[in-house]
Amino acid sequence: MPFWRGAQNDARCVISDKDRFRTVVLPHLDDCYRLARWLTGNRADAEDVVQEACLDAFRGITGFNGSHPRAWVLTIVRHAAYRWLRKNRPAALVVVDDLEALSVSGAQIADSAATPEAALIAQADTARLEQAIAALPVPFRETLVLRDVNGLDYRDIADVTGVPIGTVMSRLARARRRLITTLRPNDP
Amino acid sequence: MIEPAPRSDNSLLVHGYLDGELDPAHALELERAIAADPALAAERDSTQALSSLIRDRLAGERAPAGLRSRIESTVGLRRAPPRPSWGMLAAASVLVAVMASGTTWLTSRPPPQTDVAEMIVADHLRALMAPQPADVSSTDRHTVKPWFNGRVPQAPKVVDLTREGFPLIGGRVDVIGRVPVPTLVYRHNQHLISLTAVPATDVNAPARQTIAGFNVLEWSDNGVRYWAVSDLGASDLDGFAKAFRAAEPDG
Repeated sequence: MPFWRGAQNDARCVISDKDRFRTVVLPHLDDCYRLARWLTGNRADAEDVVQEACLDAFRGITGFNGSHPRAWVLTIVRHAAYRWLRKNRPAALVVVDDLEALSVSGAQIADSAATPEAALIAQADTARLEQAIAALPVPFRETLVLRDVNGLDYRDIADVTGVPIGTVMSRLARARRRLITTLRPNDP
Repeated sequence: MIEPAPRSDNSLLVHGYLDGELDPAHALELERAIAADPALAAERDSTQALSSLIRDRLAGERAPAGLRSRIESTVGLRRAPPRPSWGMLAAASVLVAVMASGTTWLTSRPPPQTDVAEMIVADHLRALMAPQPADVSSTDRHTVKPWFNGRVPQAPKVVDLTREGFPLIGGRVDVIGRVPVPTLVYRHNQHLISLTAVPATDVNAPARQTIAGFNVLEWSDNGVRYWAVSDLGASDLDGFAKAFRAAEPDG
């Protein structure tokens, strides 16, 4: 029996909650912080959210089944961030802009085949990129961040955000198209 | 994996394709569609540029040190030794003692592979908690490979996979049972990959498992068994193995 699997059976008492917290939660602290920073929109509140989420994770650690620790921890961070949003930015959770209009505009991106758009995007200003991400509605922002900042695969993103994998992909597509449109130098 | 979709959804599938979420058959199909459609090719290029822009600029941000210590004291971890915990050390040494009792087991009588995999995951975990995941930190394979000389019986194949998206971070020596083995450390976005190389005479088919939430991929090449451990998704780790196996050691 490997020592960290203790909690999966009767050997539960062999390893303490603190040890489990250390091996399950702490390795993912940077990921937690990155997600909270983009959900709350600022770093100071992100620290509060992560701290609260870690306390939740510590209290719930005996219930963790041992698989996908990063997705498990990020789910808890997301819940804490949503609590924070409901309290402090209730408007952010009312999605009026679902980016639906962009779902048909994929082809428009390529209209100017002569412009090396990819090259222009690669040189985009960081501040502009941050603003553009911050302006995305929460469901799209969190999906984009979980994939491109946290590097989760679709399965884990679906688990964390509680939507089907197909929805993960379409949210990603729309979020990215919106960013590409925003970052594109002003069209004539 | 994503279900097959009508042609009109190709522009959506470009994203699944770039994220490594399509199975090989659909990936191939989409590559053909991209080759035939400049609009799709443009969406692929812009999306790829955007994703690497986000990774390069935003994915490296780390939690402030103060946050980590506040959390550690909140849950009562603060007075514990900083790394690795005594509990883990004790457990690991029990494992080592058990494994070592049948001397030279690694070459003469391989233990069930899962035991080795579990020790390799434990090494990866300890590396994540250490201030540095590698004992020699260098992105230059001509620095990393010679470092192993004299430390392990056989220096491993070291290749540069930066172009494939897996930059080399360095190397360290792990101990499995009593045998020092070379481990290379690669990075993909912000995720570390430990790649341990163990000389082995028998050849196993590639195998995948999940231990403590880490993906572990195992394969054999040229008399060496490789174990890749990471919290990367399975498809990204597959991509790493593919890139490593395809790379020429001295190209």
